[in-house]
Amino acid sequence: MLSRKFWLAIVTALAVLILSGCATEVKRIGVEEVTDLSGSWNDTDSRLVSEEMIRDSLSGGWLGRYESASSKVPAVIVGRIRNLSHEHINTRSFVADLERAFINSGRIDVVASKAEREGIREERADMDLNASEDTRKEMGDETGADYMLIGSINSIIDATDSEQVRFYQVDLTLVSLADNRKVWTGQKKLKKEIKEAKFR
Amino acid sequence: MCYASFLMIIKRWGRLLRVLACLFALIGVMALSGCATYSAGFAKVESAAANRDLNGAMKSLDELKLSGPDELLLYLNKATLLSFQGDYAESNKYFEAAKRLMESLSAISVTEQVASVAVNDTMKAYEGLPSEQLMVYSFEALNYLQMDDLDGAAVEARQFDVKQGLIAAKNKGANYLSGAFVRYLNGMVYEAEGDKDDARIELNKALDAYQAQGSNFPIPQALRADLARLSSGKPATSEVVFILHNGLGASVDEANIRVSNPAYNPGQNKNMMMLSLAVPKFVKRSLPVHHVTLSANSSSVTSEVVEDVNGIAEKSFNDRLPAIIARGVARMIAKNVAAKAAKDQVGDNPFFNLVADIATNASERADTRSWSLLPGNIQMARLPLPAGKYDVTARYYGVNRNVVGMHEFKGVEVRSGRKVFVSDYYLNPPAAPKEAN
Repeated sequence: MLSRKFWLAIVTALAVLILSGCATEVKRIGVEEVTDLSGSWNDTDSRLVSEEMIRDSLSGGWLGRYESASSKVPAVIVGRIRNLSHEHINTRSFVADLERAFINSGRIDVVASKAEREGIREERADMDLNASEDTRKEMGDETGADYMLIGSINSIIDATDSEQVRFYQVDLTLVSLADNRKVWTGQKKLKKEIKEAKFR
Repeated sequence: MCYASFLMIIKRWGRLLRVLACLFALIGVMALSGCATYSAGFAKVESAAANRDLNGAMKSLDELKLSGPDELLLYLNKATLLSFQGDYAESNKYFEAAKRLMESLSAISVTEQVASVAVNDTMKAYEGLPSEQLMVYSFEALNYLQMDDLDGAAVEARQFDVKQGLIAAKNKGANYLSGAFVRYLNGMVYEAEGDKDDARIELNKALDAYQAQGSNFPIPQALRADLARLSSGKPATSEVVFILHNGLGASVDEANIRVSNPAYNPGQNKNMMMLSLAVPKFVKRSLPVHHVTLSANSSSVTSEVVEDVNGIAEKSFNDRLPAIIARGVARMIAKNVAAKAAKDQVGDNPFFNLVADIATNASERADTRSWSLLPGNIQMARLPLPAGKYDVTARYYGVNRNVVGMHEFKGVEVRSGRKVFVSDYYLNPPAAPKEAN
């Protein structure tokens, strides 16, 4: 005959199993912790791209050449980063990281992008009517960019029913607005192997 | 003490308890299987949508409380209604949720497999017919196009290519799962993105896919014209592309068939000679619109059918029917074995035998679930126009060539060399909601 302890253990285990599914669990984790859930593009991919691009762009020869030829700091504007991948990827997170690194380095200025400018110009137009003369900002004093950052995310997927290999390639390029010269190109490649669960 | 008493009761009253357990299990099975079929319950949603009462349709959909094994149907139908309402961004959130769920449901659930054999097929999570899974990409792409988000539509096009490859590999010989219309749409997306080579390749694949679907489906003339233009290196003209969701796709009803019980033993009167199986029955619904004319100023074009959704769904349905029947026979044998075991426990009791037989048959329900708001077919009209702003009118002609409805798109902005996408739906005249039996 099975012991009383055995039955108690079974009942306790069942109760734990049932009750553990009842409460929402939230656990804070470090932003650098890798959490791959579905295999799709995630925060880790974005961070790896921004780290590589920041390191490469700030150490690239283009900045040194500009600094030796000019006493000014180069101004960069963010253009279109095309998503040519298989996923709806938010490119703004790593582009924002790159912008922040440029500004904080003190060696590169970043000017507002096309979409951002519209709101700023509206505010300036509003100032014309409503702000005092000594605080009012004039139209036509904007800083023109020297370079435009453009790029793309491409992906290649090879899939079977049970397995998938995803390859991402992020390319960013700085193009001189004066003469269309590409002065820097950065590239980051990522590859993932995803094995689909057979049972759920 | 308590535990010892419990064991004593088990020993003394074991037989009675086992019989009661059998009865409760049978009653539980009846309760789980529910009474009304999915398609009967969904008639209210369809009726409201047909009356263009989309808020009412949404409310009726919410009242169905689709969850658990029916969760996918909630996402697909909600996304469709939101798209009809013009809330394309919200619609795509539900389509994305549907895609994620379909992905996770591709793994096998042992519990559901056992339940589908023990009770009925509705115990299994609905993962969508392969044809329905492919349609999600075109609907989502169309939503992006109507939000003027070409990049978003192109992502859908690329995802579709991978998915269609996987579905084709899994359903060898099912040429109708070639996704002809989706590829046609994707070709237009690639060209609008400036990827002319990808566009030409995709449109060629669309042409092959239409041909693979069968000789009775006419290949859209506009597709052939696109291919000829791309091959000659000519640029795209500016145009309004109109897409109509015409009617409702097929309804799946329940039919009962009787097959002889392969496990029948004439020596024993406690099992059934005939098995009654509830199987799904494909019911095509009439299409309200024969063709559409799209006009602006003095220009006018007639639509072409670009996707026979009904026809494809029927082929998909027929392909899975043998497996449904085989599973049904196995299920009824299992139920009869369980009922016989219960009858044996009770002894020769005519009342209990009757209850057990009723429970066995009452739990048998056909899986009538489908993405009910899919159209019966999809029509496309492409109206070339010089750049400018236009009021564009779509007139819907019924089978008797009389105008059955129209829709005006005010202030459609056509840009040079670009396509602008608009869509509408026209469902079957509403039928009286079916009573849940």
